[in-house]
Amino acid sequence: MKAPPLKKIWQWFERTRVGRSIFRVGLPQSNLERAQAMVSSFLLHIQPAKVNRHSLRASYSFGLGLISLYLFLILIVTGVLLMFYYVPSTEQAYNNMKDLQFVVSVGLVMRNMHRWAAHLMVIFVLLHMCRVFYTGAYKRPREFNWVLGVGLFLLTLSLSFTGYLLPWDQLAFWAITVGTNIAAYAPYIGPKLKYLMLGGNVVGQEALIRFYALHVIVLPAVAGFMIAVHLWRVRKDGGLSRPDEPGDTIQQIELGKLPTNKTYGLMELARGMTPQVGRNPADEVFAWPHLVFRELLLFLLVVAMVLFLGIFWNAPLEQLANPVHPPNPAKAPWYFLGLQELVSYSAFWGGVVVPGVLVMALLVLPYMDRDRKGVGRWFPRERVVANTIFTVCLVIAIVLTTIGSLFRGPNWSWQEPWKRPPTVTEGR
Amino acid sequence: MPDTNHFPAESEVSRRGFLELTFGWLAGIFAVCASAVGTVRFLVPNVLFEPSLLFKAGKATDYPDGSVTFMEEERVFLVRQGNTFRCLSAICTHLGCTVDRADHGYHCPCHGSVFDDQGNVKSGPAPRPLEWFLVTLSKDSRLLVDKNQRVNPDKYLVL
Repeated sequence: MKAPPLKKIWQWFERTRVGRSIFRVGLPQSNLERAQAMVSSFLLHIQPAKVNRHSLRASYSFGLGLISLYLFLILIVTGVLLMFYYVPSTEQAYNNMKDLQFVVSVGLVMRNMHRWAAHLMVIFVLLHMCRVFYTGAYKRPREFNWVLGVGLFLLTLSLSFTGYLLPWDQLAFWAITVGTNIAAYAPYIGPKLKYLMLGGNVVGQEALIRFYALHVIVLPAVAGFMIAVHLWRVRKDGGLSRPDEPGDTIQQIELGKLPTNKTYGLMELARGMTPQVGRNPADEVFAWPHLVFRELLLFLLVVAMVLFLGIFWNAPLEQLANPVHPPNPAKAPWYFLGLQELVSYSAFWGGVVVPGVLVMALLVLPYMDRDRKGVGRWFPRERVVANTIFTVCLVIAIVLTTIGSLFRGPNWSWQEPWKRPPTVTEGR
Repeated sequence: MPDTNHFPAESEVSRRGFLELTFGWLAGIFAVCASAVGTVRFLVPNVLFEPSLLFKAGKATDYPDGSVTFMEEERVFLVRQGNTFRCLSAICTHLGCTVDRADHGYHCPCHGSVFDDQGNVKSGPAPRPLEWFLVTLSKDSRLLVDKNQRVNPDKYLVL
């Protein structure tokens, strides 16, 4: 078979002195080279050389975790670019937004992409969490990775929330005012936490610089590190979860029980379930090209989706922040509107008890629910109770968020979104 | 043959070992705690570059009898009835929006809390009444409002 011209050029490049110095293995021609390509490349070695067919099935994972990761990468790239024009000062921030909109080439699209990718990341991290729950993938040995995932979900919310203030428009100012006041309802530490977050009593310059520092370095660094550990644990816990098969064992080598008078190879010390242990080799395929190709394709789809949104829909930018005139109604960012809806009934229950109990429940879940039946399948019959409880909580959260986002008009009164709200005149 | 009786057995901790362990761990824990306290304390601002909580509100004659004056910068209402003066916070106790003056009381535009003239909640999600601040007279006969000091609604400055 004749190779296509592009491939020919590539193969010629690989054979040159420079090409050989960069790529340790060229385009793989054999199974041996396919494995070598994965193991010897810095970027690819994060993945195994062979993966289980079950893990590749799109209808199992829907690639939700990977999409979240890609959105995070898009957010870093667009975010760093936005930093070249943004000054975190109450005098300048809003003007910088206007510059991005009207003066900077592609500035508008860049900001739109950043905003939409942030919203999408909240959604996809949540969907990823739902997938893991409904397939029972948080069970042994993946309990701790679920806990890391809950942490990453909270980090995603914090990242989005801190970014919300930066445009310094009315939307930003009042969303953060309302959001930090919800946090202030926590007993004892609430008011202190608010003071610490804002660096004062009101949302002002101190709050802006704090949110900026958290948004551009502290939280992304923590999130990046935790994502690395999260991915590492996916590998070390045996790849994606899948149904138990006869012959599967979860190896738990207790290091203390091994004789200490000999040396060990890495494979002897590795703990937990590995994709190869007790497995039928027929279930395994080479990661190159099966996994790598799918990942690239998904990456292209995610970038295309965000680009599409960024080109055709503009991120909102309201008037300059004005502490005297709150908009009516003043709303927190949409993912906190379920909480705000609850807070409008009872501040203590909505602001403290419900979110606190939910986060605690998510954290202890894998340690309470220990039965391994039904792992690796969607909606297994064995997990009907757990799935029902989770679904009820999820539906309540979605309903409350929808009410808060769409059904609350001026004075937080009930208003159907299809009825046009009366025009609210600015000022008095 | 050397006498080994006064050497500690392997499982016992010698006096020196005990002291080293104790002080070593104490020093380590102290270092970690001190760093944590220092970091948190660093983040708590000592100077606030925001409107002062103690401010002069001008002369008493600036406010006509029966007036309720909104002060933008400080986000308070100055209330004069006869020769009495009071100061009411304009920050809603629900989620921190700025309330508006309504016909008989105050109204929060964010989530619809309604307060009466005394700042008490009439309806809406606000959990507490609006706060009243201490009003005194400064040496140069100006009204002096101290937002650090909350007072009961029946506390007036009488001139």
